Amino acid sequence: MPEIFINGHSIQADSGQTVLQAALAHGHEIPYFCYHPALSIAGNCRVCVVQVEGRSWVEIACNMPVTEGLRVLTDSELVREHRKSMLQLTLLNHPVDCGICDKAGECTLQDYHYKYNGAPSVSIDPKVRATKFHALSERIVLDNERCILCSRCVRFTHEISKSHALGIQHRGDASLIRAAENHSFDDDPYSDNVIDICPVGALLSRAFLYKSRVWYLEPTPSICPGCARGCTVNLWHRKPEWKLNALDPRHNRAIERVTPLPNPAVNGPWICNKGRDLAKIFERARAEQAMQGGKPVELHAAIDAARQLIGKAKRRVAVVSSWGSNEELRTFNETLSGHFSAYVKSDHVPAPGEPNQDDFLIRADKNPNSMAARTLYPALPEAEPMFDDATDLVLVWGEGFDFARLPQRARTIVLNAYAQPENVAADVFIPLSIQTERRGHYTNFQGVVSAFEPCFPKPASVADAEMLFAALAERVGALA
Amino acid sequence: MPGKNLLMTFPVTATSHTLPDYRARGGYATLEKVLRQMKPEDVTREVTASGIQGRGGAGFPAGRKWAVVNLNDGQPHYLCANADEGEPGTFKDRWILEHAPHLLLESMLMAAYALQVRHAFVYIRGEFDLPYRRLSAAVDEAYAAGYWGERILGTDFCCDAVVYRGAGSYVCGEASGLLTSIEGKRGYPRNRPPRLTVRGLYQRPTVVNNVETLSNVVGIIANGAEAFRTVGTAKSPGTRLISISGHIARPGVYEVEIGYPWMKFIDEDCGGVLHGQKLKCVIPGGISTKVLTAAEIKDLVLDPTAVEAAGSSLGSGGMIVVAEGTCMVRLLQVMLRFYHHESCGQCTPCREGMGWLHRIIDRIVAGEGRPEDLDRMIGISRLNDGTTICGMGDAAGYATVGILAKYRDEFDYWIEHKRSRFDGNLECPRSS
Amino acid sequence: MKHLIPEFDVLRTHFPAGFESSLVLPCLRRVQEDRGHIADADIDALVDYLGVPRIQIEEVLSFYTQFRRQPIGRHHLQVCHNVSCSMRGAERVLDRLSQQLGIRPGQTSADGRFTLSTVECLGSCGTAPVVMVNETYHENASAESIELLLDRLT
Repeated sequence: MPEIFINGHSIQADSGQTVLQAALAHGHEIPYFCYHPALSIAGNCRVCVVQVEGRSWVEIACNMPVTEGLRVLTDSELVREHRKSMLQLTLLNHPVDCGICDKAGECTLQDYHYKYNGAPSVSIDPKVRATKFHALSERIVLDNERCILCSRCVRFTHEISKSHALGIQHRGDASLIRAAENHSFDDDPYSDNVIDICPVGALLSRAFLYKSRVWYLEPTPSICPGCARGCTVNLWHRKPEWKLNALDPRHNRAIERVTPLPNPAVNGPWICNKGRDLAKIFERARAEQAMQGGKPVELHAAIDAARQLIGKAKRRVAVVSSWGSNEELRTFNETLSGHFSAYVKSDHVPAPGEPNQDDFLIRADKNPNSMAARTLYPALPEAEPMFDDATDLVLVWGEGFDFARLPQRARTIVLNAYAQPENVAADVFIPLSIQTERRGHYTNFQGVVSAFEPCFPKPASVADAEMLFAALAERVGALA
Repeated sequence: MPGKNLLMTFPVTATSHTLPDYRARGGYATLEKVLRQMKPEDVTREVTASGIQGRGGAGFPAGRKWAVVNLNDGQPHYLCANADEGEPGTFKDRWILEHAPHLLLESMLMAAYALQVRHAFVYIRGEFDLPYRRLSAAVDEAYAAGYWGERILGTDFCCDAVVYRGAGSYVCGEASGLLTSIEGKRGYPRNRPPRLTVRGLYQRPTVVNNVETLSNVVGIIANGAEAFRTVGTAKSPGTRLISISGHIARPGVYEVEIGYPWMKFIDEDCGGVLHGQKLKCVIPGGISTKVLTAAEIKDLVLDPTAVEAAGSSLGSGGMIVVAEGTCMVRLLQVMLRFYHHESCGQCTPCREGMGWLHRIIDRIVAGEGRPEDLDRMIGISRLNDGTTICGMGDAAGYATVGILAKYRDEFDYWIEHKRSRFDGNLECPRSS
Repeated sequence: MKHLIPEFDVLRTHFPAGFESSLVLPCLRRVQEDRGHIADADIDALVDYLGVPRIQIEEVLSFYTQFRRQPIGRHHLQVCHNVSCSMRGAERVLDRLSQQLGIRPGQTSADGRFTLSTVECLGSCGTAPVVMVNETYHENASAESIELLLDRLT
């Protein structure tokens, strides 16, 4: 544990650390662009310069190993002067696009400019022009003028996603980030991570382009339900104070974008592209109307009818959702499962062309809580018939059930958040809330438990599954 | 002849580069001595004792570089001869490749033996076609004679030579860019630490030496470090191959004993300034060294220490002679165009700075220069000094600061009058 | 590129094990020597043969000045315009060539015979000005000597 000194303050560094890492870990500020804790050291931006006490020159901190007794200054006159100059050089050919650039408000270059430079350009020569709106892939737009060639995106595809899809064409100030011509970047299921790690507005999400200024949005921690990895994410949506009355209300409760919520135990700072597209999952057509035999009824009437069906049935089967939260599953287990033979289904299966499983994040099980559900109940039987002829009530919770496999005489109670044709055919249908409307936890395939928080209020006419199970079990009580 | 010769010791003929001629001159006898009578450490010790400095431009003592390699680390080591020779004004390694390839190869074998190297590379710039063919032919001859491959000269020492051709990039002459090029990628230089002698080619300990530096090893081992040190100066023993070009009557490659008087070299050995013109200035060691005026070199000797004391560097030995009547603004413009073209683009100060310098001087030449442009150029040069991944940023800075320091008046003139004081002339005037 | 594979197999044996990536430059040079430039199909074939990422080859092709992905004229006239050559008349040689062939640097003559380029220092400053014609250095070039040379090139 070498002791080093930063601006005279002693810190205990870890051997093997660089001065930059040690400084950041102990709360000392050193600006940087090209460094990223999960990527190899590039040392090309030259912004993290520091001065070793006694030397009359500056050196980059990201490639300086800590040694016992090393004394470093991060804010001397020399460092400030050089840092300012490096920023000016970084900005030399950078277009002043802030007014039209998505990155404004969360742009490292902007932040550093105001903090460490703040001066107008001293160049009177025209800026170097390059491609704007280059389609790096179908999902990602690249503006080469804004790019500062930190190479984080290139290193990401070589070291993390291993698609080797990005590189640098030409050289000097004609250098351009480009994707391999065989479209391997389109096939990289982790491509969108480069948008997060780009320190400027060079790499942008086409889906998010011009949708919203980031300061109108706030992130809510959640969990991607796309597979059993359960990467933690931030769902971004309008801040309450920025909800616009003039907008279609659906805009005010839309998920504008999804970013990783760094999680050392599960996904690190990354997510796959399916996680980026969670709006596609959460914003599907909802079922908001309770029904009996397809006819709209009040929610409480539907709950009563369901209770009666449960009370009258002799042989009850429950098909449990692998999207149920730990809390919902626990409540089901405590209230209803005594009266049912319960099985767990895979609400979602891989879509055609969807990556199945890899040695990085993506898991073949496309459901967020199979782990917790399977701890309680067995998987749905594969063989025919699924249930015996005596089954007279089937409670189906969640999506992805093949109703054709039901015994003819069984009555059905269907609990689902999303609109699907089978809802109408159920004896009783009760609409449910979705993940973004409540808090809860999932357990991933490794047993790690993560939390999700609500972003939006649930529609008034739908039920939270937890409350619903308790209500259904009321007065069912004494039955075997 | 400018002093004693150590390398250019034979007349160049149609066959002087061949193995039979080389052997007739005593070639490969020293290799026998090394492999049969010396230990690897003995070779390194002798090279270190010789005090030979690198002759590629940086001047780092070769022995000190070799000594970093841990012979007992159980991993492959590599040796690479730097034959990229891209520094404008420099063409002396080419002389060795074309006329004394076996001298280089025999030296490399000794270095490989000293450093426990199994694969030795020569990185030769892609444009050098004849040198490449001569070197390749020499490699074939040497293999056939049993000097490369398995069990060389019947000893346990095995070594293979690989000649690797570049493809057009100045920055691949920088040692780490060179190795990244041999790895089959863009020639991007690397940050240090780690030093290349710790992690170089494919992350293995690698020694990169200039062709001329290596070619001295045979002589050092054959005659001993002490004998080597009788030539040249105490701090810089030996000779330097000087490539002289520009406005000089007899351009070419000359071997000069270190410490030899500069003006004697120019006026007597090289025939003096072209067309009998007056000397204006000299770029001592490749365009990346600071220009020295005629007055400044009048009493100087060709010795790295002396040249450094005068504020410049002997660099790669690529000397460019400039006659009176040459426009220094245009000269710098050609240089800045070169640096801009060759910047690899990795690090911010060089990538942005080279383009900026080039654009400013183009604007000055176009008649739209402003007085503040000159200090701006000096500022950009200062920003590139010591802040870049490799020395290229520094190099452009030296060229710029050097010329501006001595010839600022020509730039002031162009900015004020929107034209050159010397008609933009780069060629040597024919009459005074 | 298939017909070059036997050569590449031999070349491979000259390198230590694990140096497949190093083969990129020499293989590309050989392909270009053979075809005159490097075609997209060559890149795919080389990716298959060496097992390197395609992006590596694409990057190398655009980084090094000697590689080209488009065909050029039969004779590539590369005029050095760096310091020593400019000091010995390279600009006049370039102008003369340009005039004679009716093309500017970067262009190919209409009859497909000549492509004119400017290049940086070729390491031949002692015999400046130098024009590299395909692989050969034409040293001590003058407008006249180049004219004579051009006449001989078909």
